[in-house]
Amino acid sequence: MSHSSESLDVIESLKKEILETNPTDLLQFCANYFTRLLELERSQFLSSTKSQKPNMSGSTFPGRFGTHSNPFGGDGGNISQQVASGPISKVMEEDESDTITSPTTPNFGFKAGGSTFGPPFGGDASGEGPPSSFKAADGFPSQYGMGRRTSVSAESLNPTAASNDNWSPPYHHKTGEQLERLKKSISGNFLFSHLDDEQSAQVLGALVEKAIPAKGIKVITQGDEGDYFYVVEKGSFVVYVNKSGSLQPGPGGLGDEVATIEPGGSFGELALMYNAPRAATVMSAEAGCTLWALDRITFRRILMDSTFQRRRLYESFLEEVPLLASLTKYERSKIADALETQKFPAGTTIIKEGDAGEAFFLLESGEAEAYKNGTQNPVKQYTKGDYFGELALLNDAPRAASVVSKTEVKVATLGKDGFQRLLGPVESIMRRTKYDEGVEEIDPLHKK
Amino acid sequence: MQVHRRISMKIREVADSVFHHGSQSTPSPAEMAQQTEQEKEFIAHFSDVQRPLPPGEVAQNPRNKELGKSSKGLSVRDFELVRTLGTGTFARVWLVRLASPAEEDRDKVFALKVLRKVEVIKLKQVDHVNHERSILADVAGHPFITTLITSFSDHDSLYMLLDYCPGGEVFSYLRKAKRFDENTSRFYAAEIVLILEFLHEREGVAYRDLKPENLLLDAEGHIKLVDFGFAKRLGNSERRRSFGRGFVDKKSGETYTLCGTPEYLAPEVIQSKGHTTAVDWWALGILIYEFLTGYPPFWNSNPIEIYKQIVSKPVHFPTEPAISPEAKDIIRQFCTVDRSKRLGNISGGAARVKEHPFFKGVVWEDVYYRKYRGPIIPPIRYPGDAQCFDTYPDEKVGREVYSDELKRKWEDHFKDF
Ligand SMILES: Nc1ncnc2c1ncn2[C@@H]1O[C@H](COP(=O)(O)OP(=O)(O)OP(=O)(O)O)[C@@H](O)[C@H]1O
Ligand SMILES: [Mg+2]
Repeated sequence: MSHSSESLDVIESLKKEILETNPTDLLQFCANYFTRLLELERSQFLSSTKSQKPNMSGSTFPGRFGTHSNPFGGDGGNISQQVASGPISKVMEEDESDTITSPTTPNFGFKAGGSTFGPPFGGDASGEGPPSSFKAADGFPSQYGMGRRTSVSAESLNPTAASNDNWSPPYHHKTGEQLERLKKSISGNFLFSHLDDEQSAQVLGALVEKAIPAKGIKVITQGDEGDYFYVVEKGSFVVYVNKSGSLQPGPGGLGDEVATIEPGGSFGELALMYNAPRAATVMSAEAGCTLWALDRITFRRILMDSTFQRRRLYESFLEEVPLLASLTKYERSKIADALETQKFPAGTTIIKEGDAGEAFFLLESGEAEAYKNGTQNPVKQYTKGDYFGELALLNDAPRAASVVSKTEVKVATLGKDGFQRLLGPVESIMRRTKYDEGVEEIDPLHKK
Repeated sequence: MQVHRRISMKIREVADSVFHHGSQSTPSPAEMAQQTEQEKEFIAHFSDVQRPLPPGEVAQNPRNKELGKSSKGLSVRDFELVRTLGTGTFARVWLVRLASPAEEDRDKVFALKVLRKVEVIKLKQVDHVNHERSILADVAGHPFITTLITSFSDHDSLYMLLDYCPGGEVFSYLRKAKRFDENTSRFYAAEIVLILEFLHEREGVAYRDLKPENLLLDAEGHIKLVDFGFAKRLGNSERRRSFGRGFVDKKSGETYTLCGTPEYLAPEVIQSKGHTTAVDWWALGILIYEFLTGYPPFWNSNPIEIYKQIVSKPVHFPTEPAISPEAKDIIRQFCTVDRSKRLGNISGGAARVKEHPFFKGVVWEDVYYRKYRGPIIPPIRYPGDAQCFDTYPDEKVGREVYSDELKRKWEDHFKDF
C-alpha cells in the first residue's frame, strides 16, 4: 500500500467517525482522534514486537518461512506463546489446567499442545461459568440478548413474468384525498420509502378498505400469525402487550396498554416481510373505525415482479451493446443490478456535446434524439432499448453529440466508476474479444 | 498412500454396487438387506480419505460424486439416536451411531438432520429442503463445508446424514469468551472467505444464512459450515454454463424468498431489491464485527427496529474494545449498502477480499490446506464426545401428523430424498 493511499485511508476513516459521532467541537474531536490513533498504533507496535520475538527464533509453522509472523498470532509450536496476547488467551490460561488433551488433535509435524480452550459448556471436567476475567466486560451492552438466533423465511415466490399465471395486483379505488393521506402515512416507513413511482402506485392501489364497526374488536392478536399490515383511516386503536409473549385468557390477558394509534398511523409492518407471531394486540377504541389493509403476498409480489421485470429488461438491453458483448451473463447481471433509473421531462439535454463523458444510458421508455453542433436536424433517433454514451466507459473523450429527450424519458444509467468498480477496467474487457472494427464504429453517435 | 488408495478403491466399489443398481424390478428382501449392509459400510468409511482436494477438483472427484446421493436401503432404524446436537426453526439434529455396527465401526458417529414433512410444508420450506439436499450433494468434499453423506426418508420425515462436527458451534465459544481477539477472528474469517469464494465463484451458490450458530468446529478447530437450508443456486452461475451437473432448478424456475437471520440480513434483502451472492459478504462484515465485539452492529429486541437500522445506519464501533483500523475498514467495506461498492461483490471478487490489509500476511494456500492451527482446539475426549454442544429439551409430543391428504399433495416433492 502506498503512502498516499494510506493517508487517504486515515482521512476517510476520520471522515466516517465525524459523520457517525457528529461532534460539536470538530477541531477538538480531530485532535483526540489522532491522539487515540497514535496511541493505538504505538501500543500495537510495542506488543507485536514483544510477541514476535519467540517467533523469530525458529518457528516451525508449516508452509511458512521462519521470519514471517503468523497472521493468526501465536505459533503452532508452542501454546504458551499463543497465550501472550488478546482476551482469548485469558480464557485459555484459566481453562488450561481443567481441560483434557484431545486425542484427535492434529499433528502437522509439530508438537500438538492439547486443548487451548475449555468446552463451551463447561463439560464434566471443568464445570464453571464464564471465566471471571470477562464478568465485567466493559462496553458490553447489557441488554443484548445472548441467545441463539433462529432464522426467518417468507414463502418463495415465482415472478409473474417467469411463470404462466398472469397475476396483476388488486386495485381498490380511492379518492385523491385518501391517496394523499395514505401516501403521507407510509412515506416515512422503511419498507415503502425506497419504492419507485410505479411500485408505489401499485401498492397504494392494492390497499383495501376494512370497516371495524364496533369498539373492542381485536384487529391483530399478540402471538398469532400475521399476514396483514394496516393503516388507520378513521377512528383510533389501542395497543396492548402481554409480557408472556401472547394474549392470555381471562381479565388482564391483554397485558399492558402501551400506545394508541390515531388516523395516519399504521401497525403490523413485520407481516409484510415474513410470517412472525404478532408482537402486540391491537383493538379498536371506538365504534365506526376504518382501516386500510395490505397483505404480504401482494406486497412482495408487486416489489418482486417489478424488480424482476426491470432486471430482465436491463439484461436484454445490455446484450445488445456491442461494447459489452464479451461480458458473461453473470457480469451482465451485476451491471443490471447496479443500473439506476432516472426520469427526464421532454426537452432535457441528457448528455452534452463536448462534455467529458462519465456515464452511459439505456433508454427504457420514451424517445430521444442526438444533435451535433452546426446541424439543424437530429443525427440520430433513439427509442426504447437504444443506448447512448457507452464510449464514456472506455475513455474520457468528449461527448461526440448531444442527446435531448423528445418525450418524457426513463433511462437506466451507470457511471464509469461504478462500471469499473464492478468489472475492472473496460480495456481488459474489450481485449477479450478482438474488435476488427475500430472503436469509432461501435459508437452509434459516429454512425452517419 | 498405499492404504489410502486401497480404501478409496474399495469405497468406489461399494458405492458403485450400492448406488448404480440400475432399474431392475423391486429387490427381494434379501437383496434389500444386502443393499443396506453395503450402504452401511460405505457411510462407515466415507471419511477414511481426508486430504483436502484443490477447490477445482472437489466436484469432479469420483468419491465426492458418490457422497450426498440418496440412499436406497437405509432407514432411521439403522441408527442409534444418541442425543440432540442442535435445533433450528425447521430441524433437529441428532448425534447418531450405526445400530449393530461391525466391530471396527463401533466408534463411527454421524450427525443426522431430521426434518418433519408436516413442518416443512407448513413453514413453506419444500423448495428450500430440496435445494439444501442437492447443493450439499454438489459441494460434498470441501474442507470447510459439512459433508452430506447420504439422505433418505420415511413416512413422515426427511433425513440428511452428515459428518459429525464434534467441536460444536463457534457461537458457543464466542458467547463464552464474550469476544474473540483479532487473530482468532481473522482465522475464522479467512476460512469463510475461502468457503464463499468456492460457493460463489465456482458453484454459483449464495449461502444466505451466515452466522456463528451455523459455523461448527471440527476436531482440529477448523470451520465446518452447516445448514444449507437457504442456499440458492443463481441462474447465472459460471458453473451452470460451463459444466452443468444436473441442476436445473426443477419446475420452480427462478424464485425469490426473503430469508436469513434478522441481525445478519443485507439491506437489499429487507427491501426486496433482489438478492445475489453480495448478501453473504454483507453478512461476513456483520460476523467479523460480532467476533470482535461480542454482539452484532444492529440489534434490538424488536426485529423491525433492527431492519430500520440496517437500511439507514452506518456501522458504529464502540470505543471498547479497541478495534484495529484494518478490521474496521474491512467491516465497513463489507457492510456497504451500495452493492456496486461492496467488497467481495466488486471487481476481483474474493481475490480482492484476500488482498485486504486485514488479511495481511495470510498465506491462502496454507489456509485452504489447513496448515494453520485452529485458535480453539475443541476438547474432545473420544469420537462420539458431545460435550461441546448445548443440551436441548426433548421434542414436544402430540405433533401434527402427515395425513394421507397432505401425502397425496406433497409426496412427489420429497422424492429426491
Ligand atoms: N454436521 C453436524 N455436526 C454437529 N452438529 C450439527 C451438524 N449439523 C447441524 N448441527 C447442529 O444442529 C443445529 C441446527 O442445525 P441446522 O442449522 O442445520 O438446522 P435448521 O433448523 O436449518 O436451523 P436454522 O434455524 O438456523 O435454519 C446447528 O446449529 C448445529 O448446532
Ligand atoms: Mg441453523
